[in-house]
Amino acid sequence: MNSPLKQELEHRSEQGRTRLSGYFAVTCLLVSSLAIVILATLLFSILYTGGSWLNFDFLSGTHRENNPEESGIGQAIIGSLVICSICGLAALPIGVGTAIFLEEFQPRNRFLRMFHGLVQLNINNLAGVPSIVYGILGLTAFVYMFGAFNSIKVNDQPDYEFGTSYYYQVKTLGDTFVKFPARKEIHATFEIRNPIRADRANGESFLLKVFSRSDDEKKFENDRSSAVFRGVLANLETRDDQQIYVVQTMDGSEVTFPAQPSYSSFAKILEPIEVVGPDGESFQLNVLAKSDDVPSDEQLKARSVFADSPDPKRRSSASIFSEPTPLHFHLPFSKSVLSAGLTLALVILPIVIIASQEAIRGVPQTLREAAYGMGATRWQVVRGAVLPSATPGIMTGAILAMSRAVGEAAPLLAVMGGVLGTTTGLRSLMDKTPALPVTIFKWAGDENAGFENTSAAAIIVLLVFLLLMNSIAIYIRYRYESPATK
Amino acid sequence: MLGENSHPASDFRVRSSASSKRWQAAVVAGLVFCSLVSLATTVGIIAMLIIESWGFFADDRIELWKFLTGTKWTVGQTQGELSYGIWPLLSGTLRITGIAMLIALPMGLVSAVYLSEYASNRTRSILKPTLEILAGIPTVVLGFFAVKFITPYLLGYLGDFKTFNATSAGIAVGILCLPLVTSLAEDALRAVPTRLREGAYGLGATRLEVTWKVVVPAALSGIISAFLLALARAIGETMVVALAAGSTPTFTLDPRLSSQTMTGFIVETFKSESVVPGTLGYFSIYAVAAVLFLITFGITLIGQIIRLRYREVYD
Repeated sequence: MNSPLKQELEHRSEQGRTRLSGYFAVTCLLVSSLAIVILATLLFSILYTGGSWLNFDFLSGTHRENNPEESGIGQAIIGSLVICSICGLAALPIGVGTAIFLEEFQPRNRFLRMFHGLVQLNINNLAGVPSIVYGILGLTAFVYMFGAFNSIKVNDQPDYEFGTSYYYQVKTLGDTFVKFPARKEIHATFEIRNPIRADRANGESFLLKVFSRSDDEKKFENDRSSAVFRGVLANLETRDDQQIYVVQTMDGSEVTFPAQPSYSSFAKILEPIEVVGPDGESFQLNVLAKSDDVPSDEQLKARSVFADSPDPKRRSSASIFSEPTPLHFHLPFSKSVLSAGLTLALVILPIVIIASQEAIRGVPQTLREAAYGMGATRWQVVRGAVLPSATPGIMTGAILAMSRAVGEAAPLLAVMGGVLGTTTGLRSLMDKTPALPVTIFKWAGDENAGFENTSAAAIIVLLVFLLLMNSIAIYIRYRYESPATK
Repeated sequence: MLGENSHPASDFRVRSSASSKRWQAAVVAGLVFCSLVSLATTVGIIAMLIIESWGFFADDRIELWKFLTGTKWTVGQTQGELSYGIWPLLSGTLRITGIAMLIALPMGLVSAVYLSEYASNRTRSILKPTLEILAGIPTVVLGFFAVKFITPYLLGYLGDFKTFNATSAGIAVGILCLPLVTSLAEDALRAVPTRLREGAYGLGATRLEVTWKVVVPAALSGIISAFLLALARAIGETMVVALAAGSTPTFTLDPRLSSQTMTGFIVETFKSESVVPGTLGYFSIYAVAAVLFLITFGITLIGQIIRLRYREVYD
């Protein structure tokens, strides 16, 4: 025998080779142990920085600007839980369905077989796509819905909406707030705040760009014919029996877009109207003229406003706000917790599919054959024999996938922005919410030194969450392991 | 035990075979729909990147050539001249990825070799869970570790590093890729049949020689594909670089300087919440994401092809 390995072995001394091998074994052990050192350092530095900041106030509080001592993660914990529930509810059925299709329904049809192969290849590739790319997909597909509903946007009010009521809110002279319902109408002027689709006189349709007045002039010097400054007013006109808004672009050319009923962000109060007070009682709002004196009676003050006047101290312009019910829903989903949950569902979908496939593959063939032998159809085999046996494995994989979702920050940043807290809390699926990973990210990047500690404390909470989920997964794996698969 | 009613056989009796078949067709349709979601995701990503990047390159101020070759990037900054060369961002990504790979590949391979060839069951039972926990640490946590620990305590004594620098982010991304490389490479090494090892031992080889001259070459396709997957993971890594690498795009080789990456730029734009659809800043996200997606998708694909095509089969 004359293999290169044998020749080489004969060249060196036996003793030297054995010693070298021993040295290598020690090096290997040292390098591998580095992982333990790294993990220990990481956990210790986080516990050391954040441990003493953990208390009930921190767990239930909300973020306060420049005030790490009083900041908390109550909203972030709820936000993370809600986002993960949505994510699981969306990803689990779709993921398991895909896995069943791939494993149990090997098609005989040539076209379907190609589809089958394509889906399998695609899943392996999707698992390698960076999560930030999913975030951008979520932004495009869920938040803006490819611009399909965005022909007109007023103050980010969506076109298709239900489950919420809009009110105008105004402060009385007694410093209380009263409200009255807002109605959609076609206003005489329309404030342009976001890019919208507009038409030129020659019929060409284009996207009207919006720039801020503080922008550098170089940013829009080539766009003067198709751009306006934010806040520019378009005027309502009637042409050919149609109501349209007309606005001049930066170079003075006239463009138009169709008028649709919308809420205006402010309402003028010129005459007495029926309003609802802070305690839910309704009464007639007392509207004073500019020259009237402020009444001295407190109760009357709380029911009076000045009519809209140019004097800023006596202005009583009412601003719009919405009171959503828990069923609030609109299209597109905008920057909401629903968008965030669905985006994370896309992120973990490949993981759920691959884990479910492995669980289904682990079901013994004898089980299927027995079911077929009893005359079961393919689906009956899956539902009656395969799924019950694969469920513990699927659940384990799903929980591990969810624990990946809990820690994802990049897709949330893309879909909801860096939200740290909301004044209203989470009222419906259409609200924004802070989440643990985003809170950690924003606090870690905050220049106020105290937020380093709150960030570490939030990390501890996140790691405890992950530990819990992993423990549940391990418990399920051992407790419910089907006797048939053992 | 299964009750009488939930027993599979009881289901089969209640339906006629024609209605079972109709039911099955409906189920298959549902399953095909589920599979379509993952396909639609890929199609959606590609379509979105093409369409919205088109908005970037269709702008009068943008030339594709300058985007691909330029060495200055000022998109998103309100002041100064507009420069849109991708190289500062791309080089930032490559610098950090390079440092990460310098750590993750050798350490990961050696750990994998140790776990598969040397480790006793006892050490395995400590090392494997450690690596699994490390793999489960969210990336934003590693970013925190990089900026609050690695930069001030580890690099502070080594030289004149900026507060946000490529080295710190690179080390953290390396830590992140380490468990991935280890576990995939170990799988590849374990798949090598014991017969091969025994043959080499029979020739008088030491354990070191068996490992490096027989086992590692036999598992090479799996190891290379593990390396490529780690590379793709490092290039796409976002939260670590967003926290630790800084927000200044630089075109340099100096690992002590701040270096914004492609992913870092995207997050920075989202964080500031200044993106308004239809503007150049908005479209630039898609142009950068398209480059990022092309690179990571390409690497993942090559990794899969190597794993499947060059796999050594011993039967």
